Amino acid sequence: MAERYDAIVVGGGHNGLVTAAYLARAGLRVCVLERRDVLGGAAVTEEIVPGFRFSVASYVVSLLRPEIVRELELPRHGLEILPLDGTFTPLEGDHLWRRNDHSRTLRELRRWSLSDAEAYDEYGIAMAQMARFVKPILSAVPPDQGRIDPRQWLPLRTLGRSFAELPRRLKDAFIQLMTMSAADFLDQWFETDPLKATMSASGIIGTFQGVRSPGTAYVLLHHYMGEIDGAFRAWGIPRGGTGGVSLAIASAARALGAEIRTEAEVARIDVSGGRATGVTLASGEELAAGAVLSSADPRVTFTGLLDQGTLDPEFRADLARYKFRGSSGKVNLALDGLPDFTCLPGRGEHLRGAISFSPSVDYMERAYDDAKYGRFSARPYVDMIIPTLVDPAMAPPGKHVMSCFVQYAPYHLADGAEWDDAARERFGDTVIDTIAEQAPNIRDLIVGRQVLTPLDIERRIGLTEGNIFQGELSLEQLFFNRPVPGWARFRTPIDDLWICGSGAHPGGGLMGAPGRIAALELLRERGRRKGVRARL
Amino acid sequence: MPDYDVIVAGGGHNGLVCAAYLAQAGRRVAVLERRAQAGGIVEVLHTAGRLQAAVIDDLDLRAHGLELIRPDARMIALREDGPPLTFWSDAERTAEGLRAVSAADADAYPRFDAHIRELAGFVAEVQASIPPRLDRAAIGDAAAGLRLARAYRRLGARAARELTRVLPMAAADLVGEWFGHDAIRAALAARGTLFTAMGPWSAGTALVLVADSAGNDGGAAGQTALPRGGPEALAGALVRAARAAGADVRTGAEVARVITRDGRVEGVELASGEQISAPAVACAVDPKTALTRWLDPVVAGPRLRWRAGNIRTPGATARIDLALSGLPAFARVADGTALSGRSVVAPGIDAVEQAFDAWKYGGMSDRPYLEATIPTLAEPDGDGHRMTVLAQWVPYAADPDEVGTKVLAALERVAPGIGGLVTSTTVRTPAAIEREYGLSGGHLYHAEPGLDQFFAWRPVIGLARHRLGLRGLYLCGAGAHPGGGITGGPGRNAAREILRDLRRAG
Repeated sequence: MAERYDAIVVGGGHNGLVTAAYLARAGLRVCVLERRDVLGGAAVTEEIVPGFRFSVASYVVSLLRPEIVRELELPRHGLEILPLDGTFTPLEGDHLWRRNDHSRTLRELRRWSLSDAEAYDEYGIAMAQMARFVKPILSAVPPDQGRIDPRQWLPLRTLGRSFAELPRRLKDAFIQLMTMSAADFLDQWFETDPLKATMSASGIIGTFQGVRSPGTAYVLLHHYMGEIDGAFRAWGIPRGGTGGVSLAIASAARALGAEIRTEAEVARIDVSGGRATGVTLASGEELAAGAVLSSADPRVTFTGLLDQGTLDPEFRADLARYKFRGSSGKVNLALDGLPDFTCLPGRGEHLRGAISFSPSVDYMERAYDDAKYGRFSARPYVDMIIPTLVDPAMAPPGKHVMSCFVQYAPYHLADGAEWDDAARERFGDTVIDTIAEQAPNIRDLIVGRQVLTPLDIERRIGLTEGNIFQGELSLEQLFFNRPVPGWARFRTPIDDLWICGSGAHPGGGLMGAPGRIAALELLRERGRRKGVRARL
Repeated sequence: MPDYDVIVAGGGHNGLVCAAYLAQAGRRVAVLERRAQAGGIVEVLHTAGRLQAAVIDDLDLRAHGLELIRPDARMIALREDGPPLTFWSDAERTAEGLRAVSAADADAYPRFDAHIRELAGFVAEVQASIPPRLDRAAIGDAAAGLRLARAYRRLGARAARELTRVLPMAAADLVGEWFGHDAIRAALAARGTLFTAMGPWSAGTALVLVADSAGNDGGAAGQTALPRGGPEALAGALVRAARAAGADVRTGAEVARVITRDGRVEGVELASGEQISAPAVACAVDPKTALTRWLDPVVAGPRLRWRAGNIRTPGATARIDLALSGLPAFARVADGTALSGRSVVAPGIDAVEQAFDAWKYGGMSDRPYLEATIPTLAEPDGDGHRMTVLAQWVPYAADPDEVGTKVLAALERVAPGIGGLVTSTTVRTPAAIEREYGLSGGHLYHAEPGLDQFFAWRPVIGLARHRLGLRGLYLCGAGAHPGGGITGGPGRNAAREILRDLRRAG
């Protein structure tokens, strides 16, 4: 064994890179190992059609933790977020268009419902206050609910106290957000169906739940979390695609001394005497390290990279229950021009934001019903953006790229059907048909298309069952239960093996939080936290 | 001097339980029931096996004539495409029967049963406790808190972790972790959706399932206990117990509003105009009715009215009563005693979920999820039989005839020929249940038992401790913690809190 590192990070997705950067910053000798030839994992930019560059999987940034941006000085390493302007919902003969310009949004809402326009502000304020309250949870290390030891509960005491001090209506809102369905929650505030449908969509992204499924309201908050970080505009698209985020983090990590290797596929995490000692690459190369941190999902980490028999059966059984259930697909289009919406023709400002195919709550729910029984949605929810309108360099002059996030596409198809080439194309056609109902010219504009099914996401990016959050964000898989009850503190039953990906608390999204907390927790355990502080 | 110390408004089983406890403690109590007989929906929820043992003992209900018949067969899942699955009170016997369908599931069953019992044991402690204040710690809560902490510790690390994981789950996921056979999964999971507006894939239905077995001997299959003499006998025993303790029970006395002055309760006014005074009123109706209809809007204020108006009460259960000229022949049921418990039609998880799907869009499935009992098996009544059926999910204002037709067609599939035996059919839709029993939305649990209306936030935060925000106004019905079903829990817990306040006031 020639090389010996203080820490090896498995996987060069954004969380892995964040972990490496924080460890390097504390003076550790770190190496990141990425299987593919590009960095970023699901936050990756690739040229799929010659001349056209795509955020292949993850396509917007809303949750990237501001402390990471600050502490790693990401803007200095090339991170630039370009704002998206509002959300446009095309409808049969009409539309609903919420913009960043608040007064115009209110004017638009008044067109639909006076009481909704009135409730909109109150709702926004309540959600912003909620988001401020919830944010500390995103940086907390979950306690082990099986132990009464008060020390591990201490970080939550502050949270409990601030909960007690919340006004009653916000306590209500908090409990409801943690338990209700997005549709039920919004029903309390609004009556306009397309408004509720479009807002509720953020509650189901990446999950195998419908807008009426209890537990989906919580994610509504995420939209407000980004927006309240005044110092840094966090809602938008990164210049150069989401790969731009990963590359900025990688650049920061390198500057701090981390080594990053691509095309270095980890074949096995080496364990000796119940302790992780390093990794063996697919090439046969062996690398030794004092600690191994895996940013791969729990299935890949514990089933794919460890010799079976290393883990105790109880842990394995618990892990086998962890649900992935990929539910989303992606259609990336290279376009010759811009889509023209029947309900609002022309290349107006409405194309510069998110375009949401979510005409009604029932439409959203029916899309989910299809998936429950193992079919992709006959009429899916599509969240579409055209990055070239804010970042023209992504395509040749006059051309455009379009990113369509699609739900639902279940990983497991009914009746033994497979995600073969034919199924993939049928899925892609369905998405185009859905768009064409509102913007008929779309078919003539397409010069290239990439369709990603959950199976494609699994194969290409390495996310089990194509789950973009490395595991379902359902209530029983959050906080102290993520990924497995008793093992939510980034440690694993194997000494010196840690997890630092979205399969750990607080979960997925282009957030970076698991990577950061895992690194800080490891450093704290190694008693080096003081040194970190000094360097910060 | 006020007419009474406490008026219990509503003579459902929780109202009667609450009144009996208060009267036993020496308080002057009146129960006011709108209908001609007390008991409320005990005549709709066809089994009484969740009635808390403590309530039966404390109120001496056996002496007042209550006898519960507990058939050995808890539940039978009837199927059109395979042999029925019988769930006995003895888990091993159940497992033997399941072996014909799946050996692996048969092996898993006794462990699953024990697992549910363990979780339900803790939930029973929660159900018996007063939910904590969430704004500041109250000294009175310390004892309840300690008791819960002790119960939690008793679970041990593994079960404690399991508890927090399981309760917010979907019932379909929970049974999916233990069983492979779809019919077995559905038979066990469906109970987590009964009386709710949730399907087996909805998060939080595992909690409903576990809570259903809390404080009783239900385990995985759930309890079954039929009052001898029918639901009237149970209602009668409760009325006698309340009266024996000294409470006045008046029927035909409809409460129209709660009288308040200077921020406190002074009594109630009946629809007849009669006023009855008392410094405390315990509402045994659903919280939406109490807060938005009985309480003066000026006193309640817009915020409370808005919150109360948003309490979710989506009634989705219909009750169908069939009079039969003879016992139906259930397909492939060899052992007649297997029918003496609850007979369930829930053929598969997806099948049950699809019945729920139809309701989401305002319709009713042709294949509803059914739970039926035939009380005349234990207590013969001439040559004929009576069958009570609960059907999920039925739209609020469904056409009763159409509901009856669909339910009979669904029964016909598991009991061919049953249609020819039917001599009369009575259907109560959620709308009819609302009209008849005064339940908002016709919800038989008074408020949806979702995760958002549970424990310290049932019915809403700040009102979960049986006190409704106005001095002297209490909630003692199923809309309060620990929730719906014939348990007596809310009535008993509320009485304890009311007595505490009365003692404090001197």
